[in-house]
Amino acid sequence: MKKNQLDEMQVQKRNSIGNQAFLLLMYLLMIDAGLYGFGFRWIEYPANIMIMVTVCAGIYLIRLINNHAYVGPSAENKRPVLRFILMVAIACSVAAGISMMLKNASFTNTAQINEMSAPIMFITAAIAIIIALATLLIKRSQ
Amino acid sequence: MGKNLKLKSARAALDMSQKDIADAVGVTRQTINAIENGDYNPTIKLCTAICKVLGKTLNDIFWEDEADEKKPVG
Repeated sequence: MKKNQLDEMQVQKRNSIGNQAFLLLMYLLMIDAGLYGFGFRWIEYPANIMIMVTVCAGIYLIRLINNHAYVGPSAENKRPVLRFILMVAIACSVAAGISMMLKNASFTNTAQINEMSAPIMFITAAIAIIIALATLLIKRSQ
Repeated sequence: MGKNLKLKSARAALDMSQKDIADAVGVTRQTINAIENGDYNPTIKLCTAICKVLGKTLNDIFWEDEADEKKPVG
Protein backbone atom coordinates (compact mmCIF):
# COMPACT_ATOMS: atom_id res chain seq x y z
CA MET A 1 0.00 0.00 0.00
CA LYS A 2 1.11 3.52 -0.70
CA LYS A 3 2.14 5.15 2.54
CA ASN A 4 2.22 8.70 1.24
CA GLN A 5 -1.55 8.82 0.84
CA LEU A 6 -4.50 8.48 3.17
CA ASP A 7 -5.39 4.92 4.07
CA GLU A 8 -8.79 3.41 3.22
CA MET A 9 -10.49 4.32 6.50
CA GLN A 10 -9.17 7.87 6.29
CA VAL A 11 -10.50 8.21 2.73
CA GLN A 12 -13.93 7.01 3.85
CA LYS A 13 -13.98 9.47 6.74
CA ARG A 14 -12.80 12.32 4.53
CA ASN A 15 -15.52 11.60 1.99
CA SER A 16 -18.17 11.44 4.70
CA ILE A 17 -17.04 14.69 6.32
CA GLY A 18 -16.76 16.37 2.91
CA ASN A 19 -20.31 15.39 1.99
CA GLN A 20 -21.64 16.72 5.28
CA ALA A 21 -19.72 19.99 4.89
CA PHE A 22 -21.06 20.40 1.37
CA LEU A 23 -24.64 19.81 2.53
CA LEU A 24 -24.14 22.26 5.38
CA LEU A 25 -22.93 24.88 2.92
CA MET A 26 -25.88 24.23 0.62
CA TYR A 27 -28.42 24.55 3.47
CA LEU A 28 -26.77 27.75 4.73
CA LEU A 29 -26.93 29.24 1.22
CA MET A 30 -30.58 28.24 0.89
CA ILE A 31 -31.44 29.73 4.30
CA ASP A 32 -29.62 32.91 3.31
CA ALA A 33 -31.53 33.06 0.02
CA GLY A 34 -34.79 32.42 1.85
CA LEU A 35 -34.12 35.18 4.35
CA TYR A 36 -33.29 37.51 1.48
CA GLY A 37 -36.63 36.60 -0.10
CA PHE A 38 -38.38 37.66 3.09
CA GLY A 39 -36.53 40.94 2.99
CA PHE A 40 -34.06 40.20 5.77
CA ARG A 41 -30.38 40.83 5.03
CA TRP A 42 -28.04 39.93 7.90
CA ILE A 43 -24.86 41.03 6.05
CA GLU A 44 -24.39 42.55 2.61
CA TYR A 45 -23.73 40.33 -0.43
CA PRO A 46 -20.06 39.41 -0.78
CA ALA A 47 -19.47 39.16 2.95
CA ASN A 48 -22.31 36.70 3.65
CA ILE A 49 -21.03 34.21 1.05
CA MET A 50 -17.45 34.59 2.25
CA ILE A 51 -18.47 34.02 5.87
CA MET A 52 -20.54 30.93 5.06
CA VAL A 53 -17.81 29.39 2.90
CA THR A 54 -15.18 30.16 5.52
CA VAL A 55 -17.27 28.62 8.31
CA CYS A 56 -17.94 25.46 6.31
CA ALA A 57 -14.27 25.16 5.27
CA GLY A 58 -13.22 25.64 8.88
CA ILE A 59 -15.64 22.97 10.12
CA TYR A 60 -14.41 20.62 7.37
CA LEU A 61 -10.76 21.16 8.29
CA ILE A 62 -11.29 20.84 12.05
CA ARG A 63 -13.32 17.65 11.67
CA LEU A 64 -10.70 16.17 9.32
CA ILE A 65 -7.93 16.82 11.84
CA ASN A 66 -10.08 15.61 14.74
CA ASN A 67 -10.84 12.32 12.93
CA HIS A 68 -7.17 11.74 11.96
CA ALA A 69 -8.06 11.99 8.28
CA TYR A 70 -5.94 14.99 7.31
CA VAL A 71 -2.52 13.39 6.82
CA GLY A 72 -1.58 9.89 5.71
CA PRO A 73 0.32 7.20 7.64
CA SER A 74 3.79 8.32 6.54
CA ALA A 75 3.21 11.96 7.42
CA GLU A 76 2.16 11.01 10.95
CA ASN A 77 5.58 9.48 11.59
CA LYS A 78 7.52 12.48 10.31
CA ARG A 79 8.39 15.54 12.36
CA PRO A 80 8.85 18.25 9.71
CA VAL A 81 10.20 21.01 11.95
CA LEU A 82 11.30 23.24 9.07
CA ARG A 83 7.95 22.95 7.32
CA PHE A 84 6.10 23.58 10.58
CA ILE A 85 8.10 26.75 11.28
CA LEU A 86 7.56 27.97 7.72
CA MET A 87 3.82 27.31 7.94
CA VAL A 88 3.55 29.19 11.24
CA ALA A 89 5.46 32.14 9.78
CA ILE A 90 3.28 32.22 6.66
CA ALA A 91 0.09 31.88 8.73
CA CYS A 92 1.13 34.76 10.98
CA SER A 93 1.98 36.97 8.02
CA VAL A 94 -1.31 36.12 6.29
CA ALA A 95 -3.30 36.84 9.45
CA ALA A 96 -1.49 40.14 9.92
CA GLY A 97 -2.02 41.10 6.27
CA ILE A 98 -5.73 40.31 6.30
CA SER A 99 -6.16 42.13 9.62
CA MET A 100 -4.51 45.21 8.14
CA MET A 101 -6.72 44.99 5.06
CA LEU A 102 -9.90 44.60 7.08
CA LYS A 103 -8.92 47.24 9.59
CA ASN A 104 -10.96 49.91 7.93
CA ALA A 105 -13.45 47.63 6.21
CA SER A 106 -17.08 47.81 7.17
CA PHE A 107 -19.54 44.99 6.56
CA THR A 108 -22.42 47.45 6.42
CA ASN A 109 -21.05 49.32 3.41
CA THR A 110 -21.73 47.37 0.20
CA ALA A 111 -19.40 49.37 -2.04
CA GLN A 112 -16.51 48.96 0.36
CA ILE A 113 -17.08 45.21 0.60
CA ASN A 114 -17.12 44.94 -3.19
CA GLU A 115 -13.83 46.79 -3.33
CA MET A 116 -12.30 44.55 -0.68
CA SER A 117 -13.51 41.21 -2.03
CA ALA A 118 -11.36 41.20 -5.17
CA PRO A 119 -8.00 41.82 -3.45
CA ILE A 120 -8.85 39.38 -0.65
CA MET A 121 -9.63 36.62 -3.15
CA PHE A 122 -6.53 37.44 -5.18
CA ILE A 123 -4.32 37.40 -2.09
CA THR A 124 -5.89 34.14 -0.86
CA ALA A 125 -5.19 32.43 -4.18
CA ALA A 126 -1.64 33.84 -4.31
CA ILE A 127 -0.91 32.65 -0.78
CA ALA A 128 -2.27 29.19 -1.55
CA ILE A 129 0.07 28.94 -4.54
CA ILE A 130 3.03 30.16 -2.47
CA ILE A 131 2.30 27.60 0.27
CA ALA A 132 1.97 24.81 -2.31
CA LEU A 133 5.27 25.78 -3.95
CA ALA A 134 7.07 26.07 -0.60
CA THR A 135 5.75 22.68 0.49
CA LEU A 136 6.85 21.14 -2.80
CA LEU A 137 10.35 22.60 -2.53
CA ILE A 138 10.78 21.46 1.10
CA LYS A 139 9.48 18.00 0.26
CA ARG A 140 12.00 17.65 -2.57
CA SER A 141 14.88 18.94 -0.45
CA GLN A 142 14.04 16.42 2.30
CA MET B 1 -20.13 -5.59 14.31
CA GLY B 2 -18.41 -7.06 17.37
CA LYS B 3 -14.85 -6.74 18.52
CA ASN B 4 -12.22 -8.66 16.59
CA LEU B 5 -10.55 -10.47 19.48
CA LYS B 6 -8.83 -12.92 17.13
CA LEU B 7 -6.82 -10.12 15.59
CA LYS B 8 -5.95 -8.78 19.01
CA SER B 9 -4.82 -12.17 20.33
CA ALA B 10 -2.82 -12.94 17.17
CA ARG B 11 -1.10 -9.58 17.49
CA ALA B 12 -0.40 -10.16 21.17
CA ALA B 13 1.01 -13.62 20.44
CA LEU B 14 3.62 -12.05 18.18
CA ASP B 15 4.26 -9.32 20.77
CA MET B 16 3.36 -6.64 18.26
CA SER B 17 1.72 -3.32 18.98
CA GLN B 18 -1.03 -1.75 16.90
CA LYS B 19 1.57 0.69 15.64
CA ASP B 20 3.85 -2.17 14.46
CA ILE B 21 1.08 -3.74 12.38
CA ALA B 22 -0.04 -0.37 11.08
CA ASP B 23 3.48 0.46 9.88
CA ALA B 24 3.84 -2.98 8.30
CA VAL B 25 0.63 -2.75 6.27
CA GLY B 26 0.82 0.99 5.54
CA VAL B 27 -2.16 2.32 7.47
CA THR B 28 -2.58 4.46 10.57
CA ARG B 29 -2.70 3.07 14.10
CA GLN B 30 -6.24 4.41 14.40
CA THR B 31 -7.34 2.15 11.52
CA ILE B 32 -5.98 -0.99 13.22
CA ASN B 33 -7.61 0.10 16.48
CA ALA B 34 -10.95 0.61 14.70
CA ILE B 35 -10.73 -2.87 13.14
CA GLU B 36 -10.00 -4.47 16.52
CA ASN B 37 -12.90 -2.63 18.13
CA GLY B 38 -15.28 -3.52 15.30
CA ASP B 39 -15.78 0.10 14.33
CA TYR B 40 -14.44 -0.33 10.80
CA ASN B 41 -14.98 -3.07 8.21
CA PRO B 42 -11.69 -3.36 6.26
CA THR B 43 -11.39 -4.20 2.58
CA ILE B 44 -10.17 -7.62 1.50
CA LYS B 45 -6.88 -6.01 0.44
CA LEU B 46 -6.19 -4.75 3.94
CA CYS B 47 -7.38 -8.04 5.48
CA THR B 48 -4.90 -10.05 3.43
CA ALA B 49 -2.10 -7.61 4.23
CA ILE B 50 -2.79 -7.96 7.97
CA CYS B 51 -2.96 -11.75 7.69
CA LYS B 52 0.41 -11.86 5.90
CA VAL B 53 2.02 -9.79 8.62
CA LEU B 54 0.56 -12.01 11.36
CA GLY B 55 1.29 -15.26 9.49
CA LYS B 56 -2.37 -16.31 9.63
CA THR B 57 -5.11 -17.02 7.12
CA LEU B 58 -8.24 -14.96 6.53
CA ASN B 59 -10.28 -17.67 8.25
CA ASP B 60 -8.10 -17.47 11.34
CA ILE B 61 -8.54 -13.74 11.80
CA PHE B 62 -11.69 -12.56 10.06
CA TRP B 63 -14.10 -15.51 9.98
CA GLU B 64 -16.96 -14.88 12.39
CA ASP B 65 -18.16 -17.71 14.60
CA GLU B 66 -21.84 -16.88 14.09
CA ALA B 67 -21.52 -17.92 10.47
CA ASP B 68 -20.18 -21.33 11.50
CA GLU B 69 -23.27 -21.96 13.64
CA LYS B 70 -25.54 -21.38 10.64
CA LYS B 71 -23.89 -24.12 8.57
CA PRO B 72 -26.34 -26.91 7.56
CA VAL B 73 -25.86 -30.19 9.42
CA GLY B 74 -24.88 -33.24 7.36
